[in-house]
Parts: sequence; structure tokens; C-alpha cells
Amino acid sequence: MNRAVITDNLGYLLVGAWPDGPVGGLALTLILSGLSGLASAALGLILGIGLAMSAGAARRALVLGLGFFRAIPIVMLIFWSYFLLPILFGVSVPEIGTVVTALALVGGAYLAYGVAAGIESIGRGQWEAGLALGFGRWQVLRTIVLPQALRAMAPSFVNQWTALIKDTSLAYVIGVPELSFVAAQVNNRAMVYPAEIFLFIGAVYGALCLTLDRLAAALAQGARRAPRLSRATPA
Amino acid sequence: MRKLFAFAVATLLSVGAAQADRLDDIKKDGVLRVASFDSNPPFGSVDPATKQITGLDVDFAQAIADKIGVKLEVRPTNPANRIPLLTSGKVDLVLANFTITEERAKQLDFSIPYFASGQQFLAKKGTLSSPDQLNGLRIGADKGTTNEIVLRRDFPKAMVVAFDDTPFAFTALRNGNVQAITQDGPKLVGLLAKVPDRQNYEIPAFSISNDYIGVGIPKGETRLRDLVNETLRELEKSGKAATIYDRWFGPNTEQPLPRLFRIGEHD
Repeated sequence: MNRAVITDNLGYLLVGAWPDGPVGGLALTLILSGLSGLASAALGLILGIGLAMSAGAARRALVLGLGFFRAIPIVMLIFWSYFLLPILFGVSVPEIGTVVTALALVGGAYLAYGVAAGIESIGRGQWEAGLALGFGRWQVLRTIVLPQALRAMAPSFVNQWTALIKDTSLAYVIGVPELSFVAAQVNNRAMVYPAEIFLFIGAVYGALCLTLDRLAAALAQGARRAPRLSRATPA
Repeated sequence: MRKLFAFAVATLLSVGAAQADRLDDIKKDGVLRVASFDSNPPFGSVDPATKQITGLDVDFAQAIADKIGVKLEVRPTNPANRIPLLTSGKVDLVLANFTITEERAKQLDFSIPYFASGQQFLAKKGTLSSPDQLNGLRIGADKGTTNEIVLRRDFPKAMVVAFDDTPFAFTALRNGNVQAITQDGPKLVGLLAKVPDRQNYEIPAFSISNDYIGVGIPKGETRLRDLVNETLRELEKSGKAATIYDRWFGPNTEQPLPRLFRIGEHD
């Protein structure tokens, strides 16, 4: 085991060429994960609500669109939007924008089904009770159904975000210098220490995902405790 | 698979060839965007001290940027992404040990050659001594390179295993997944110079093709191409091309190789 190959290149693995060049390495992986995580959650929530609340032609169109993004491999989506959009439409999307958009669309499509399932898991009685009290459909959704459904969806959000963190490594295909890309550069320069380098990189991804998981678990616990105090009379 | 993408992208491009003059755009932006290797010393690799991509290709790119009077921006590429990067307009030029071939010349233009090499092999000592043995071996090649194409065409019984980049192929050789790897001779010499246990490997003294390396230029950009060619000829005349060569392959480097090729002798 050669530990020097990690320690000598630690700065490059963590932040890339920054501050003399663009930010890269672990920092860029965190930025990509954060941006695409937020965007996918927003998309997933909107599309999931759309899926649960719509009917007929609108719903069929939505299902078709979501199906497309669930069916297409992320790496292809990244590759095609990066190299093909400029040729077909003359729009040039920057690398990081391409990756975040692709991850958000695919992540959002998966989350939409989680959100829709969460909403559907809330019993019809809740809806009827809300409507009987004179609430509109959207009011029932916002004040009664969603707060309960979101708690049920939390694990699927965490699952999706964990997958997103790992999928940021697919940015390598268009030369975005995130963690696994700079690791490959270091490996290609050092030549003979792939085991050390990629074990380290694997451990970093593991630590990232574990941290997210712990954080989510802690938040969920906090959230579970808080509403119980205010819910003096069960619904 | 990425070669397939590259091919499809290129095919689509040939349909709609709307042309503005790229040289004017470069001057207007004040930046020349060039794709170079980030993992193939001495052509292009990340310098551990400066964290910037440096190498023979980058020096030539810098000379072209100086000639236009703009800043140089180097984008990392692997072999397979060179054509898509150029045809989608993400870069203005490709200087990445880019072998000039007729097939590629259908999708892009090349400058006059500024480097020459032959396709050679790297193997553990004693495994390979003549081209006749190639047909029975498992051989690692880089995806999207002429090396891969030539090997598959001329040695159909060789088991070709394609890798993303030469160092990955070398790792496979080291681990025994393949028995030899193939690349341009100077690139293999550069690679071997960085290997700690280089005494266990050798580059057998035969080559299976002669390759000329040129600058990849978007199709139809004649003014840009003329400027690149002019720059290369001037570099040779002023002796700067020899200086650049010596900086990476000269007698005091890790991979000394005599300079046999002169720019302009093969147009």
C-alpha cells in the first residue's frame, strides 16, 4: 500500500485545480449532488402531485414523459444533450448545466412516482373528511394529505439522493472534473497504484452516502417528534 | 459504444453544415479552446505542481493561440471524445496525438502533420517479438483510436480489448488481463518512462503502421486551417518546433527519442 499517492494528491482530489483553475474533485461532486438533489426534489414533488391529481389525457402525457426519463440511461442523456443539442439547435449547454439537468430530470422522474404513491397511500377517508369540512381539493392536499404523505416518502427521497451522489460520477463522459474523473487523472499519472486510489475514492463516496443517510434519519426523527406534540386530537 | 455515438453525432452534423467563420469568433471571444489529452504524458497530462494540463500538444496549442493573439483554454479529452468535441463546436481545435486518416477527414479537417509515429506494442519481457504472434494474443487498445481500427483490420484473430485510455490498458496488462497493449510508439515510450518497474516491460522493435499526427480543425474552416498550417511552418523554420520537441522528447527527458520528422516534409 502506498499512502503517499493519496496524500500527495489530496488537494487535487478534494478541490481540483481550484483556485488556479475551475473547481473540481470532491467539491464539484458535492456541488453537482446538491444542485441536482434540490432540483430533482422540486421536480419530483411537482410532477408527483401532478400524477396523483390529474386524469385523462394530461395524466397519460405525464406518464409518457416520466417513462421516457426513467427508461433512458443517465449516461446517454448526458452525452446526447451535451454533444447533440449544439448540433441540432445551436444551443450550447455548459458541462455542469448538462449534468445537473440530466440528473435532475431522471431523479425527478423517479421521485414523482414516490410522491404519487405517498399521496395515494393516504386513505380516502382523509380526503372525504377534508372535503366535507368545506376545503377544496388542493386545500385538502396541502393541509391534510401532503404533510402526512411527505413523511411516508422521506425514505424514497433519501434513496434517490444517494443514487444521485453516485450518479454524478457519470459526468466523466463529457470531461467534467468531478471526484472520479480527477481520480482517473491521478491514477493515469501514477500508473501503478489503482487499488489505493480507487479504494480511497470508494470510501469517500461511501462516507458521503452514509452521512446523507444519517442526516436524513436524524431529521426524520426530529420531525416525527415535533408534530406529535401538536397533534392532541388524532385526525 | 462511444465510437458509435461519435459516428452518429458526426453523421448528423454533416446534414446541416451552417458555417460562420470560426477564426473571427475566436478573435472576438479572445479565447482559443483546444481539446488535449489529460492522461497521456508527454503529449498531455496534468502537472502535479501547477494542476494544469501540459505537454507537447499543449505547447503547440499555445503557439497557435499566441499567433492569433488570444488566450489558450485547454479542455481535457480522452481519445473517443475528440471528434464529438470538435463537431459539436465545444472546442475550436483538437491537439491530442490525433492521427490523420481519410475516414476522419470526412468529418473534420486536418492541418499538415506536426508529429509522426508508428503503431507499436508494449508487453511483458519475452512475450512478443514479431507481428506474427499478434493473432493469438489478447491485446489492449484505446477506444476510438486508429490503433484499435488497424489492429482489428490487419490482425482479425487477435482478441482486442478496448479501454478508455492508455493507462487503463496498461493496468490491464500489469494485472494479466491482456498480454500486450498497442499505441503510438512515442506514447508508449512516454508511458513506460513513468512506470516504476519498467525493467519488466519492453516495446518490441517493430511497428505495424506509420501515423502522421495533425491538428483537428472543424470542417470547412479554411482561414483557421491556413493559420494553423502557417503557424506550424513558422515554428519549424524558427527552430521553435525543435525546442518544443526537445522539451518533451529531448536527450535530457525521461523518454529521449531522436527527432526524425520535420514539419512540412509530408503535406
